[in-house]
Amino acid sequence: MGVLATAERASAARPVPPLRRGPLAAAVLLVCGLALLPFLVLTGFAVRDAGASRLWLGAEGLEQLANTLALVLAVGLIGALLGTANGWLTACCQFPGRRWLRLAQVLPLAAPAFVLAAVLVDLGSRWGFRVHGIGWAVPLLSLTTYSYVFLLSTESFSGSGQRQLEACRSLGVGPWGSFRRVALPLALPSIGAGVALSGMEVVNELGAVELLGVPTLSRGILQRWQGEGDLRGAVGLALIALVLVSLLVGAERWMRHRSRRWTLGQEGAGAQQWELGGWRRLLAQLLTLLPPLASLGIPLSWLVVSRDHLQSDPPEDLLALTLRSLGLALAAALLTVAAALLLAISRRWLSHPLLGRLTFFAGMGYAVPGTVLALALMLIGGPLQLSPLLLLVWGYGDRFMAVSKQGLDAAFEHIPPSLDECATSLGCGWLAVLRRIHLPLLRGPVLVGGLLVFVDVVKELPLTFSLRPFDFDTLSVRVFQYASDERVGAALVPALLILALGLAASVALMPSLERQGKGG
Amino acid sequence: MPSSSLPLRRVWLPAAGSAALGAALLAFFGSGTQPAIGQSQDSRPAIAEAGTTIGVYSGRHYNTDKELYRQFTAKTGIKVNLLEAKDDALIERLKSEGKNSPADVLVLVDAARLDAATDQGVFQPSRSAALQRDVPANLRDSQGRWYGLTRRVRAVVVNPKLVNPTTIGTYADLAKPALKGKLCLRERKSPYNQSLVASQMILHGEATTRTWIRGMVANVSQPFFTSDTPLARAVARGECGVGVVNTYYVARMLSAEASAQDRQLAEQLKVIYVNPSHVNISGAGVTRHARNPQAAIKLIEFLASPTGGRGYAAANNEYPLKGFGDNPILKRFGTFKADGVSVEQIGSRSKAATLMMESNGWK
Repeated sequence: MGVLATAERASAARPVPPLRRGPLAAAVLLVCGLALLPFLVLTGFAVRDAGASRLWLGAEGLEQLANTLALVLAVGLIGALLGTANGWLTACCQFPGRRWLRLAQVLPLAAPAFVLAAVLVDLGSRWGFRVHGIGWAVPLLSLTTYSYVFLLSTESFSGSGQRQLEACRSLGVGPWGSFRRVALPLALPSIGAGVALSGMEVVNELGAVELLGVPTLSRGILQRWQGEGDLRGAVGLALIALVLVSLLVGAERWMRHRSRRWTLGQEGAGAQQWELGGWRRLLAQLLTLLPPLASLGIPLSWLVVSRDHLQSDPPEDLLALTLRSLGLALAAALLTVAAALLLAISRRWLSHPLLGRLTFFAGMGYAVPGTVLALALMLIGGPLQLSPLLLLVWGYGDRFMAVSKQGLDAAFEHIPPSLDECATSLGCGWLAVLRRIHLPLLRGPVLVGGLLVFVDVVKELPLTFSLRPFDFDTLSVRVFQYASDERVGAALVPALLILALGLAASVALMPSLERQGKGG
Repeated sequence: MPSSSLPLRRVWLPAAGSAALGAALLAFFGSGTQPAIGQSQDSRPAIAEAGTTIGVYSGRHYNTDKELYRQFTAKTGIKVNLLEAKDDALIERLKSEGKNSPADVLVLVDAARLDAATDQGVFQPSRSAALQRDVPANLRDSQGRWYGLTRRVRAVVVNPKLVNPTTIGTYADLAKPALKGKLCLRERKSPYNQSLVASQMILHGEATTRTWIRGMVANVSQPFFTSDTPLARAVARGECGVGVVNTYYVARMLSAEASAQDRQLAEQLKVIYVNPSHVNISGAGVTRHARNPQAAIKLIEFLASPTGGRGYAAANNEYPLKGFGDNPILKRFGTFKADGVSVEQIGSRSKAATLMMESNGWK
């Protein structure tokens, strides 16, 4: 088992197998086209009879921009620290409760930020403390987004780096040294991908910042549309925000590009975990327990203090809502992961620079406010008479492509091109390389990507709200209707069902990550 | 890699299974009631009659509305397909669907949104003797494109321990220096506040309204609130002396659905109907490309009628179009004198009102 680590540096020598890639290129172009079409439509919409003055931010706009940047940076930093720490602790250390705490790390992601904000504002106004402003928004959004970093980094810690860690052990390097000198550098692409996702989520977040009264760019965009009736100006601003986020993510990629490390993962030995004791054990337990406890505890504490006026929809209604959410999320997760996999592969196999840029932008839909993306899909779907459900799944795919693609891209960075070269020299086509080499190595990121998309779709609101067909409420729609009407009591049961679906998905998928970590 | 097929199967078999399950769930729970966006549901006859179906897009999302639609179906045999979403998104959806839209009726909340929808041409004019009779002239569009259904009043709430209720008789009193540090307001973004300011612009002119806004902003003690209920609670707890809210939020705090704590808090509040009071509405119109305008107008007539309207208003502790209704909680607040400003006019001034609020410090 103890094969030595191959954390190697290499220049970007791509394999150049002389194979037919026509079908792959066509499929990639199709997916990119579907992903980018809404943005092309939006651009056309925004520039029609537009003047430059529409994009002038003004004093309020600058404040919104500053707030957005502050939120992105603070949430990204906290998310990176907490997500990486918990990813490492639950993947490579051993302490009582570790397995359960690892599963529970998905809970905060499943909790819609606006629900937590609504509950906190409500509790605060009853007990006499004001829940308001960026000081509340930073911890709240950190809580609901750190799981991106956690899931992507823990997958990296438990999968690809195991043998390197084993080597560390045999050379007498302790847990901290192993983490700092080997595991962390190997996990950096995943951590970067997670932080990028949290940044995009923060940029498009609307419900929570509205309730907390934080003026952000996403609110400015909606204000343009709904307050001033300037829809084209709003779309213009949204596109500018998209470009800014693309630049940030692109810069992060570029900086990392120079320190690329490959590893032959997968066959790591089991029982690699360091036993924690004393205060270290306690600290590990606290760090991994507090975030899920908070995301579950906030709604539950509301439940406890408001037992006397909790209202609930009839059970058959709740069942229908749950099944609709489940159905949408399953369909969307599968389609999105398949599309993201296709794009991630194409970056490796079709080294055309234009195609590379196309696939990069195809994964940026997450940075656009959902309401604006919904508008784009209406502009496409209305004239073409597309079915609302089809539009909705298209929207999910476009919006959450980033969520599955970021992790896959990061994982591909681990697989050395020499593997592909070997396979092709033995006569494999790209499809065979994909099936026999990439997919087995990418099993973890594929599962994590699917889980992330699933959880995100279950709590997704703006697309579902504006694109769904008649009489087709989902859990998140119902939660929002009650919460926006300031009826927290009625919103709570469907909100807890959203959490339950997220936890169920986590329980279903995490064990297979665990198996992978143990060399299954 | 001979062993590679094992993990493959482990991933892709469950994946295929879950896809099939997802599709099955969608087919089962998604089918039946929804036509494609823009697709006609079935060839409906031009005359409203039992057995037909109409599509309703609604910006109101009170679960209790559905009971009213059920009553309408029971009474007329006309089935109602419902889609509730945000007002602005509904307007855009109608526009993008154009003549293929499955919606016959659009229900919106607030004067400004009704005005925006009218401007963008998503309504068609309709005439109805019943609506002329049941909806007061200032609560409907002059060309019959929309009709008011319920009334909500923007009232002042006072904590009598901090502010003497008798000192406040008009909205203008909120700008008095005596209230410095005691006034709490909701954000500019709230359409209820935008319409309030628009109505003051119509009644008192721009200069007076600007001075009034500045006076109020100078009195504000806390960051602007993002919703009405926490604002009402802050007044009740004495964190603010006086605030401006829609009365149905206070009524809900007093109702049986509220917690004991909320009832206790609301008891501390004195609701003042200033003279005259600003009245906002929720309203509905027949969509421009309605396939079944006769059935659509029947629904609007039902919702505006004294019987149907009472239910629509009572569901959310709002006032019916005429009189003060028989809601025992609202009766506690007494009666109000409406300012009589035309809602159509308020809508057309709301953008100007928003800009005035922005340039005078209303966050």
